[in-house]
Amino acid sequence: MHTLEMLTPGMSARIATIESDCGQAGRLSSLGFVPGQWVKVIRLAPLGDPLTAEIDGQQISLRRSEARLIGLHPGGDPS
Amino acid sequence: MNPLRTRGPVEAEKHSIQVALVGNPNTGKSTIFNRLTGLRQRIANYPGVTVDRKSGRMKVAECEIEVVDLPGAYSLTAISHDERVVMDVLGGRRNMQRPDLLVFVLDATNLKRNLFLVSQAAELGLPTLIALNQMDAAHHNGIRIDSARLSRRLGVPVIETVGSSGRGLAELKGAIVEALESPCFLPRIAWPACISNGCVMLRDGICTLGCAEISDAEILRVLFDRESVYTEQVQEKTQLRELILEVHKGIRSSGLSPGSAEAVLHYRHIEALLEGVIESSGPIARSRESIDRILLHRVWGTLIFLGVMYAIFQSLYTWSGPAMDLVETGTGWAQSVASGLLAGAPVLQSLVCNGILAGVGGVLVFLPQILLLFFFISLLEDSGYVARAAFLMDKLFSWCGLNGKSFVPLLSGYACAIPGVMAARTIEDPKARLTTILMTPFMSCSARLPVYILLIGTFVEPVYGPYVAGATLFVMHFVGAAVALPLAWVLNRFILRIKPLPFILEMPDYRLPVLRNVVHRMWERGREFVIRAGTVILAISIIVWALLYFPHQESVATQAEAEFVQAQSKQRPAVEIEEALKDPDSAISQSLFNHVGAAYIEQSFLGRFGKTVQPVFDPAGFDWKITVGVLSSFPAREVIIATMGIIYDLGSDVDEGSSDLRTVLKNERWTSGSRLGEPVYTLPVVFAIMVFFALCMQCGATVAIIAKELNWWWATASFVGMTVLAWVAAVAVFQSGRLITTFFS
Repeated sequence: MHTLEMLTPGMSARIATIESDCGQAGRLSSLGFVPGQWVKVIRLAPLGDPLTAEIDGQQISLRRSEARLIGLHPGGDPS
Repeated sequence: MNPLRTRGPVEAEKHSIQVALVGNPNTGKSTIFNRLTGLRQRIANYPGVTVDRKSGRMKVAECEIEVVDLPGAYSLTAISHDERVVMDVLGGRRNMQRPDLLVFVLDATNLKRNLFLVSQAAELGLPTLIALNQMDAAHHNGIRIDSARLSRRLGVPVIETVGSSGRGLAELKGAIVEALESPCFLPRIAWPACISNGCVMLRDGICTLGCAEISDAEILRVLFDRESVYTEQVQEKTQLRELILEVHKGIRSSGLSPGSAEAVLHYRHIEALLEGVIESSGPIARSRESIDRILLHRVWGTLIFLGVMYAIFQSLYTWSGPAMDLVETGTGWAQSVASGLLAGAPVLQSLVCNGILAGVGGVLVFLPQILLLFFFISLLEDSGYVARAAFLMDKLFSWCGLNGKSFVPLLSGYACAIPGVMAARTIEDPKARLTTILMTPFMSCSARLPVYILLIGTFVEPVYGPYVAGATLFVMHFVGAAVALPLAWVLNRFILRIKPLPFILEMPDYRLPVLRNVVHRMWERGREFVIRAGTVILAISIIVWALLYFPHQESVATQAEAEFVQAQSKQRPAVEIEEALKDPDSAISQSLFNHVGAAYIEQSFLGRFGKTVQPVFDPAGFDWKITVGVLSSFPAREVIIATMGIIYDLGSDVDEGSSDLRTVLKNERWTSGSRLGEPVYTLPVVFAIMVFFALCMQCGATVAIIAKELNWWWATASFVGMTVLAWVAAVAVFQSGRLITTFFS
């Protein structure tokens, strides 16, 4: 399964699932990480973690361990 | 339904009309709150949690309205303490008054996400009003919002505002009064059958399981949140879980995922609401992207971050100096005036000078650093840089349970732990905040410096030269941090049973800080410190004064004087001594005065206690004088220099550079025990003392501020923990040092 963690800066893809078995899902989805949304990785922090993702025009930073919870549809759109 | 008219004056006193400000973090909610209430504010804690409950009074057209600024929340899913408080207040849980009106403060530049909370809160059925804030920024970003249409769709008034300039505030006030008179409600989302039926099923099930009252909004939380607090009364947890899983199955069979159904449906609802309301003139080149490219750059971003932090630290360290000196001079002046006025009553004189005034001075002396730090923190937060700094630094701290926002508190701890502990409020995650607060007192604060300078200057520099001395001083500054970070890891891994919050951080647009807000925040924090922590610090100061002063028997002075005269008579003729003692300014009179002072401290409760517990510190190589010095410096570690001065017959007027004190320390020898005749201050002892000071929480003010920021349980735990740790480390240093020196000699 493709996850947000695997995207490199500049790449984007559509969200397929949010791993809901852990407490983090609520915060992610309330910020707009919902299935069907396009998400784009903007940059990594200098030490490789966390990363900044763009969703719906807003930029959100999250750790890799959280990016791993966001499953993506295969095949991104270089938008 | 008209709170303004129906309530008589008597009732209004009991239940004042309350308006709650609700919204996401970073929407300018606090600015609006300040604008509405001015300085008529009160800060308290919500029951059971250390979340600020800010309230103030707003006067419109002869009626007083209480405005409550609820903590920022992204959703009603009670993930953080802040969000839990919002849900509790809106639901009227835990004896909290339910607001009469909700004013949502929404960020116009990010309307869609901001409406998520609104859409969730619609379930609560409270009268609502919307303030569409930061309209100027939205306009600047090319976003056009048809607020009239939005208002029609939502069925509630929508007022455009610009918090920073105050635009739209008068309209907002008017709208608040109007909404209280004729309340409007948000339309509830139309849930699909699988969810609405599921809710009914869940409610029936929960009622039979023994949960007395639960609202529609709370049922939804039980259904969608992994762990909900609203079913605490339910005993049969497994039955409840089965019930929830059954409803989830129903949701799944209609093609939705229970984990994301709520968010997906709310966002679908919001998209429909916003259809034709928002117009964005394409992605215009935002200035933030070009600023981010530099500030978050691998090399430049890190360098700029270090530069900013260095500048803050330097100014805390040096700029606060003159103000702190002023406080100290002022205290000294007040002490000498009081001393003159109370010369007839020695106990009162000592209480006022050494207890009360020293305590007041000890509180005020922290103010310059607190004000300065919060000046910088406000600038960093309001400009949007804090999120960037946390992004840059997170990885450095995440391994031990802290996060990127721990950097500022820990760094401030190097100047003073008190503003550092207060600065930890910027950390949302309760676990990381707790850990950061507990680790901040380990940072080598400026009060430790005099002790290091005295000991290194006396025992290291003369023997090993300035380079080794400098290196030792440098290393001493990292002893605390080197112990603290692994300790934080252990705490997080094995001891603290708090669920950490995910580190999910919004990167807000850059904004120009508003001076008004910055000053407001400094004032707020300073006032809070003086009122809440100040009283405790003052109390500690008076208690320790009493322990060092009483019993203060006259016989002690008489005996000390006799001893002194006898010792002196071996060196010079008795007539000469008598003559010199008549003049209170003569050298002999001064040293008699100091000798009596030392005798009083030895005979004081704390002195006797120090002598009794000296065996406890014996394994660290401390004699009773060091022990008393260490004990008397528990309220404030810098006190040790003055106490040492008194104990060694030099009077309290010594500092870390005093050559008399240095000479006395060098010549001090054991007068009893197995080490009789050996010097007290050998290198292992010197290092044991320094390590003890590096790790011990000898600061009543820090204990007080931790008690205030967390609670007394944690304050006590960290005090005891750090003291034990310091003792263990001092013993380890002394014992291994002694082994090494015997091995090499």
